[in-house]
Amino acid sequence: MAETAHPDTEARAEVEGSSQAPKDITPVYEIGFHIVPTVGEEGVPAVLDRVRALLGDAEIISESFPQKMTLAYRIERAQAGAREKYTESYFGVIKFATEREHLSAIEKGVQGIREVMRVLIIGTVREDITQHKQRTVFSSDRLEGKVIEKPAAQKEVAVEVSEEELDKSIEALTG
Amino acid sequence: MKKEYVAQFQHIDYKDIEMLKKFLNPHGKIMPRRRTGLNASNQRALAEAVKRARFMALLPYIVR
Repeated sequence: MAETAHPDTEARAEVEGSSQAPKDITPVYEIGFHIVPTVGEEGVPAVLDRVRALLGDAEIISESFPQKMTLAYRIERAQAGAREKYTESYFGVIKFATEREHLSAIEKGVQGIREVMRVLIIGTVREDITQHKQRTVFSSDRLEGKVIEKPAAQKEVAVEVSEEELDKSIEALTG
Repeated sequence: MKKEYVAQFQHIDYKDIEMLKKFLNPHGKIMPRRRTGLNASNQRALAEAVKRARFMALLPYIVR
């Protein structure tokens, strides 16, 4: 007796197959965060580990280690009854792929870390968009570095002319 | 008025502040389309990227 797969079994197999290869379907996000400068260089990896732990089983595509930077404006926040002011921070970015429903939990979790003062999660693409060349052209710079050379004028070669020919050409001009 | 920029983006990254700064005037405001020369969707993407960069303190909200 030949065995035929039950339709339910086939459907289940398809679902399982799709769950094994979700890489292209899973939406990709990028989390950017500022770590307070008071943690110091040695405290940054610990905070980064906590952020990474909050991502759970999300696939981490790329990450940049938090670098110290000067902020464009002063960030103030109320923490434990005191007002903290920061003009610099450690800014880090992690690109990851996870399901949409996990996002709010991740955002709340990262915001809950005391050493993280600001968080932004955005939807992005799996490819590294910094590698794409921007076709930005500043019109005033278009000819920068190029020297437009004036075409060289052709030299007139002197030719001896007899007096008769000269008289003829003068008569032709004067009519 | 002559358009200053001829640009089309594939993606605009809010972290690329040097590129974003080209589209801001000296007060830190986003230039209008007639000045940037971008198409409508790119102009919207630019505005979103600038606003994200401002929120993350990569760009100032205002330059006095």
